[in-house]
Amino acid sequence: MLVQRLIDALGADAVKTDREDLSVYSFDAYSEGRLPTAVVQPSSTRDVAAAVKIARDCGEPIVARGSGTGLCGGAVPAEGGIVFSFARMNRVLELDVRNRRARVQPGLINLDLSKHVANAGLFYAPDPSSQKISTIGGNIGTNAGGPHCLSYGTTVNHVLGLEVVDEFGEVYQTSVEESGYDLTGALVGSEGTLGITCSAWVRLMRTPEAVRVWLAGFPDVESASAAVSAIIGAGIVPTALEMLDRLALQAVEAAFHSGYPTDAGAVLLVEGAGFEDDLNVYESQIARLVREAGAISWRSARSEAEREALWAGRKGALGATGRIAPNYYIQDVVVPRTKLPDALRAVEAACDARDIKVANVFHAGDGNLHPLLMYDRSEKKQVAAVIEAGNEILQAAVDLGGTISGEHGIGYEKRETLTRIFTTDDLATMARVRDVFDPKRMLNPEKIFPAGVGCAEVQR
Amino acid sequence: MIAERIAPQTVEELAQTLAQCNRDGLAVTIEGGNTLHAMGSTPRRADLAIATAHLNHLLAHEFHDLTCSVRAGITLAHLSEKLAKHGQFVPIDAPLRRKATVGGTMAAGWLGPRRHFYGRARDFVIGSQVTLPDGTIAKAGGMVVKNVSGYDMSKLYIGSFGTLGVITQLNFKTLPVPQRRRALIAKLPEGSRPRVVPQIAALAVTPAAACCVEGFRKSIDGEDGIDGRVFILLEGSDAILERATRDLRSALGRAGVPETIIIDAGANESLERVLDAQIASVGERSITYRSLGTPETVEQRATEMRDAANRSELFTDVLFDVMNGDVFLRVSQRDSRAFAEKIEAFDDELCALDSRRVIVAGDAPIRSSLDAWGTPPEAIEKMRAMKERFDPKATLNPGRFVGGI
Repeated sequence: MLVQRLIDALGADAVKTDREDLSVYSFDAYSEGRLPTAVVQPSSTRDVAAAVKIARDCGEPIVARGSGTGLCGGAVPAEGGIVFSFARMNRVLELDVRNRRARVQPGLINLDLSKHVANAGLFYAPDPSSQKISTIGGNIGTNAGGPHCLSYGTTVNHVLGLEVVDEFGEVYQTSVEESGYDLTGALVGSEGTLGITCSAWVRLMRTPEAVRVWLAGFPDVESASAAVSAIIGAGIVPTALEMLDRLALQAVEAAFHSGYPTDAGAVLLVEGAGFEDDLNVYESQIARLVREAGAISWRSARSEAEREALWAGRKGALGATGRIAPNYYIQDVVVPRTKLPDALRAVEAACDARDIKVANVFHAGDGNLHPLLMYDRSEKKQVAAVIEAGNEILQAAVDLGGTISGEHGIGYEKRETLTRIFTTDDLATMARVRDVFDPKRMLNPEKIFPAGVGCAEVQR
Repeated sequence: MIAERIAPQTVEELAQTLAQCNRDGLAVTIEGGNTLHAMGSTPRRADLAIATAHLNHLLAHEFHDLTCSVRAGITLAHLSEKLAKHGQFVPIDAPLRRKATVGGTMAAGWLGPRRHFYGRARDFVIGSQVTLPDGTIAKAGGMVVKNVSGYDMSKLYIGSFGTLGVITQLNFKTLPVPQRRRALIAKLPEGSRPRVVPQIAALAVTPAAACCVEGFRKSIDGEDGIDGRVFILLEGSDAILERATRDLRSALGRAGVPETIIIDAGANESLERVLDAQIASVGERSITYRSLGTPETVEQRATEMRDAANRSELFTDVLFDVMNGDVFLRVSQRDSRAFAEKIEAFDDELCALDSRRVIVAGDAPIRSSLDAWGTPPEAIEKMRAMKERFDPKATLNPGRFVGGI
C-alpha cells in the first residue's frame, strides 16, 4: 500500500525497497540504524511534498539524507521509516553573480557549488573536510563548519533562505531578509527534525585576490597551542588555523607526501587570504609569533600547487589514519581557544589510560578538537575502551567551559550527553520549537533530544 | 498607556516579575534604550514595562578567546568602549548607540550597513539567555565560537521583537578592531548616480559600507549634488586603505564625480550620523520606511520610491545601501495636518512597490493608522504557532510583531 502509493506518486525508479538497497541507507559514516521501509529519490520539491504526505498517512517516520557522511548518526533511520535521498536534486537552480548568491538543490555536492561558480570569481565558503562528497542539504542539516569557518563563519552564516517541506507536506519559503521569526536560522542545524530543505539560497563570496598558506613545525602540541593563542591574541584572524599532531602528520605524510615535517611533534597550517600587501605583513607577524612560541620549522606556500598539496594533507587526514589502525572514532568537541593545551592533555590522558593510539587533526583557531581514537572494530574490548575514552574527552571539554559538538552535530550518538551542557529547562525550550514543527516526532525521530525530552513530560 | 515601569536588578527578579504578569494576565513590554520603539506596530496592550536598564553589565570579555558576554541592557557605545580596551569590537551597527541597548538592537534584528563586510550582527551571537513568559530561564549556545549542540535558539530570539521571551544575556564572538577607518564623501552631479552605484559594487577592495544619500541635510555629512551624495566607509590596514582610496577616486571619476572629501579623524562619527539618520524623525510630520532588496536593484528601487512620494506631494530624504540593498525613505510635510492628509494615499502606492516595507520611525498617531509591517511572510502560520507555544497568553508585546503577533 505504502510502496505502491510512493511508486504512483514518484515513479517506480524513484522508490527502492530491495533489501540490499535499503541496507545501504541504514548507515552513515558512524553508525547503523534500522532498515528503512523504503528509500525515495525525489526529483523535485513536489515529489518531496507528495512523499511526505504519503509517509504521514501511513505513520512512517521521515529521514532526509545527503551523502551519509555524517559522524553522529544524524541521517540513519533510527526507527526505520522512509529515507529521502536527494541524489537527483543536485542542481544549481539559479546563479545571481551580481548579488553574489545562488539557489541550489539540497543534493548538490558542496565542492561542486564552488566549482560551478569559480568562473564568476566566486566561491561557497563552508568547506567541511567531506566537501568532495557531502551535500549542501546535509551541510545545512548539521550547520557544517570546516577549516575556513574561522573567518567566514559556519553554514548558517551563508544560508540566505530556504524552501522547506513541512511535516504535512506543505511547501513554504523562508528568508533571512524578511520580517518575522528567523526560521532560516532555526532550521539550519536542526538535523532534519523541523522540516525538509528542498532548495536553498546561499551566499557566495568573492575569490580573494591573494592566498597564502604557511606551515610551522613545533616540537610538541603545547608549543603549537601557544602559537595559536599568540596569533589570535595578536588580533590576527587567519582564514584557517589548523593543527595536526605527530601521529596525524606522519600518517598524512606517508599517504600524501604533502611536505609536512615528519620530525615535528605538531604542525600548524595557517592560511591567510585577502590582499598581497596585507599578507606580507601577516606573514612576518605570524612567522615571528610562531618562532617565539618555539617553532622549529617554517614554510610559506605561495603557488597554488604548493598550497593545494598542504591542504590535501589536512583534508585527507581522516582517511590517512587507516595506516595506523583499521578503524577510528572521531570526537568533535570545542573549548575556548585558550583552553586548547588543557583539552589536549585531557585527550592524551584519556587515551593513555586505555592504551589507545590517538591522532589529533583539528581546527585550532576555533578551539574545535577532533581527536581520532584508533581501534579495531573486531576487538570488543577496544570498542568499549574507545567509547569510554571518547566520553571522558567530551566531559573534559564541558568542564573546560566548552561544548559537546562544534560541527558534526548531535544526531543519535550524542543525544544523551546534551544534558551535560543544558538544563531540563533549556532542553524543554528547544522542544517547544520541535512541538511547532513536528509535534508527532515524525521528522528524523530519536535525534538531538535525549530520550525523555518529549512533548508531554516537559510541558508546564 | 503603560501603568507601571519596573527595572529589575537581577535576571531572577525579572523572571519573577514576568511570571507574575503572565499569571495575572497583564501585557508586558520590554524596554531597552527605546530607540527603535517606533519600528513595527504599537502593542495592542501594555500594562507594565520591564526595563533592562539595570541589567547592563559586561559579564566577561575573554579577549584571548575573542569572545564576550553581556547583559542585554548594556548600550552599544558602552560595549564598544569596554571591548576597545583590548582592541576588539562586535560589528553591531544601529542608530543612537549611546542609548540603544545590545538586547534591544538584537531583539529588533536591526540590519546594519557593514553586514556584507563583517556578516550580520546575528552571526556574531554564540550564546544567549532568555526569560520566557512563564518565568523559565533558558540558555542556548555557549562561550565557544563553534557550536552545533542542540537547536540554535538564539536565532529565534534575534529579530523577534521580544514576543517570545526577554533576552537577558548575549554572548558574542569579537573581532580585532581594524587598523584604520576612513570615510569618503562625494557630491553626485546630475545623472551620475546610476553609474556610481555599480562602480562601487565592483571595487576590488570592498568598502565596509557604502550609502547614497539624498537630503538628510545636517544630519549626515556632506552636501548634495543634483543626484545627492555618496558616503563610503573603508576599514583595514594602511596599505589597503591607500589602495582603496586610489581605486575609489578613479572609479568615481569614471562615473563623472569630480571631487571626493576624505574624513580620517572623524570617520566613526561620520558613520554614526548615517546610522542615526536611519530613524531620525521630523517632529510629528514624518514617517521613515525601510525596504529591503538586492544591491543590483537598489538604485532603481530608491528612485521609484522617492518619485512616488514626490508625486504624493511629500518631501523626501533618501538613504540607500549600495552593498546590501536596503532603502530608507523618510517622507514628511510642512505640518502634521498636511502630512496626515497625504500619507495614507502614498502608503498604498508604496505597498504596491514593496508590500513588505517596514515602518521604522515616525510619531505614534500617524504610524498607528498604517500597517507597519506590510504583507506577512509566507511562513506566518508557523510563526503564529511559535508565538502560541512560547507565549500562549500573549503576555509579551502583544500585537507588536508581524501579522499581529
